[in-house]
Amino acid sequence: MSDEITEHPDRPQRGQVLFAALFLICATLLLAAIEDQTKWLKGKDFFAQPRFWPAVGVGGMVLFTALHFWHLPRKPRRLPRWMREADWFQWAESLFWAVLAIGLALWLGPISAAPMVFLVAIVRVTWLYQHWTDRREAKIWVSVFEWAGWFLAYVLLVPLIGYLPVTIAFSLILTWRVGYRSRLMMWSAGVFAVLVVLVFKSFLQVKIPGAAIYEYLPGALRSFFILNF
Amino acid sequence: MDLIFDFLSQVQASSSYLARWDVVLALLVGSVGGVLIGAIPGVGPAVAIAILLPATFSMDPIVGLTVLLGIYGSSMYGGSIPAILINTPGTAVNALTTYDGYPMTTRGEARRALSLAYSSSFFGGIFSVVCLILFAPILAKIAPMFGSREIFLAALLGIILVVTAHRKHTLIAAAMACFGIWLNTIGLHPASYSKRYTFDQSWLSGGVNLIVVVLGLFALSQAFTLLHGDDEKVRLTKLKGSFFQGFRELARHPRIAGISATFGVVMGMIPGVGEFTAQFMSYTYAQKSSKRPEDFGHGSSEGLIAAETANNAVPGAAMVPLLALGIPGEALTAMMLSVFYVHNVIPGPQLFQNDMDFVVALYLALLILNVLVVIFLLIATNQLIKVVKIPNRFLGVCILILSFVGVYSLRNSLTDCIIAAAFGIFGFIMKRMQLPVVPIVLGMVLGGIMEVKLRSAMARVKTPLDFIDRPIAAILFAMIVLVLILHFRRVWLDHKERKTDEWQISHASTSFPAILSRRRNYILTERGKKLRAKRKTFSRRLTDKD
Repeated sequence: MSDEITEHPDRPQRGQVLFAALFLICATLLLAAIEDQTKWLKGKDFFAQPRFWPAVGVGGMVLFTALHFWHLPRKPRRLPRWMREADWFQWAESLFWAVLAIGLALWLGPISAAPMVFLVAIVRVTWLYQHWTDRREAKIWVSVFEWAGWFLAYVLLVPLIGYLPVTIAFSLILTWRVGYRSRLMMWSAGVFAVLVVLVFKSFLQVKIPGAAIYEYLPGALRSFFILNF
Repeated sequence: MDLIFDFLSQVQASSSYLARWDVVLALLVGSVGGVLIGAIPGVGPAVAIAILLPATFSMDPIVGLTVLLGIYGSSMYGGSIPAILINTPGTAVNALTTYDGYPMTTRGEARRALSLAYSSSFFGGIFSVVCLILFAPILAKIAPMFGSREIFLAALLGIILVVTAHRKHTLIAAAMACFGIWLNTIGLHPASYSKRYTFDQSWLSGGVNLIVVVLGLFALSQAFTLLHGDDEKVRLTKLKGSFFQGFRELARHPRIAGISATFGVVMGMIPGVGEFTAQFMSYTYAQKSSKRPEDFGHGSSEGLIAAETANNAVPGAAMVPLLALGIPGEALTAMMLSVFYVHNVIPGPQLFQNDMDFVVALYLALLILNVLVVIFLLIATNQLIKVVKIPNRFLGVCILILSFVGVYSLRNSLTDCIIAAAFGIFGFIMKRMQLPVVPIVLGMVLGGIMEVKLRSAMARVKTPLDFIDRPIAAILFAMIVLVLILHFRRVWLDHKERKTDEWQISHASTSFPAILSRRRNYILTERGKKLRAKRKTFSRRLTDKD
């Protein structure tokens, strides 16, 4: 089966509906929170209001993402056979969304409920048009959290153990993790780590704090390590 | 003549900025580092500048900016090496170089192609710097005419151009620019000190740092992309021949080189346009005016000259809106703007009026950089091409380690690192979708400029027409209207073309009711006609007896 939903010469289609929907949902929630999160000051000019530029930003996000979402090439989702054949399911599905929207409008009032009803509409369209390739793409997005986790672990460990040891360890372990096991690559990773520390911390003196573990080193060595590594 | 003499005296005065060991070292590091970074596919100048940005804050403005300018200007030289040798552009702007460079390599003319790329790039770089040096006194006279409303309109024009330049992605590019504008508003409102979108979180009160976002979107996202991807097998070709032959060949195409460099300079000066448009226009011009247009895309030396000259003429020109108005036209110059702000050197009309020596020193640094890069490439290409063999995922590890220096050294803040990681994931997703991230950065920078300038401009405006009653403001407003009209016209034409294409390739429906409907129509029209004609043949002619 083709990886693409429709042939589009410009960009891959996998995940587009999902991305646009998620971005639109976030933008709508931000727009709904504008009254709470910004102020309208009496006696101030319209363009000098603290709310003016956030409104331009968030309003533009909602408007342009909604138009982008609308223009995306879409193909209806292929539902399981029992869902397609059961009339009651089609009715129940439509009814569920309608009841949800009306319920929100009654609960919050028509103006406050407008963004929520809009959200419900986005969720429904996404449910109807999402494809198996979108779900596979979402899994790839989630898989990147591993690398972000490695990065944050590195950030957390540097102030405790020290820039030089953590950088060497991180470089070697990550090189091993991504599949390079040869002696050449491991040496390259180690040398690269040492060079980075020497250039940035020892030579350029960038602001990276000395490690807590360095406190246990004897006098002169302690300050030498804190300053350079 | 007076202008030239004035300028020569300024060159003399500005040489004091450059005659320092740290500036000389910065020139060397910038030029060699830029070539190396450009030559490694998957790194690029944006990643390198984002990582080095915090390190340059502790340097003098001229030193820090020289390093960054060096990387910006020389990365495109390096980017042409993998584009020509392995059909993979080192930087995004070298994509057009692969069209004619790689076919030349497959013909066994790799060294000729590299030599042509170096000489064209050198010509483009020098041409743009010379143009700017000659224009600098005129710019110094025009720049003070830009008040708050003109700068607001120029920033607005820049943001519109950035959005409309992303053809067929305009809507999402506009949404991302607005996302950037919104990100910039987070924190305390500078005029009223009221909180905006802080959600009562203390870490959001200071706002979202531009450099953290840039590092996430460019450096971390690239590291994630490389770590997630696979390595590519690289086979390098042996280089034969002289590197100087390109200069001789370039001299035989002065018209293409001159016009392509002019396109580069003009497009570089317009915020939001940049290398791609300059390359496209010069390549199209070269193809249309060539005696052998059929060679383009199959190893044409003219195509290679057009592409490389145009893209290398842009970095120098891109400094014009940044230095003269304080408006960056692209992500790289937006990053450089933060170096100015950190050192309290505010680019804009005042910089041209009060510190012209500094501006000229930057131009001279760019000039020297181009010379250094060409010398380095002529000597070291054979050794340099080996860097393209560095495996992708190992590069990802290296970028991740270097990104830490960039983010953490800024404020030693874990929160910054978490925000950068979040933007890294966001940037990775955008890259997978092939959606533009540059509008986010420009939205943040230009949004901040627009907010401040609109507030101060509106204080002196009584009616809407007062906003454009000055000549430059009127010209900028007219340009905005023209750009929008042209954009909507192009959208309409694209829509019409797409509809025509769809109609031409659409096939008849295969559904049963549609078949019945077609059959009915056929009977009522074609078959009916045939039947009537048949009956007419056998029917008796009317006679007088009837």
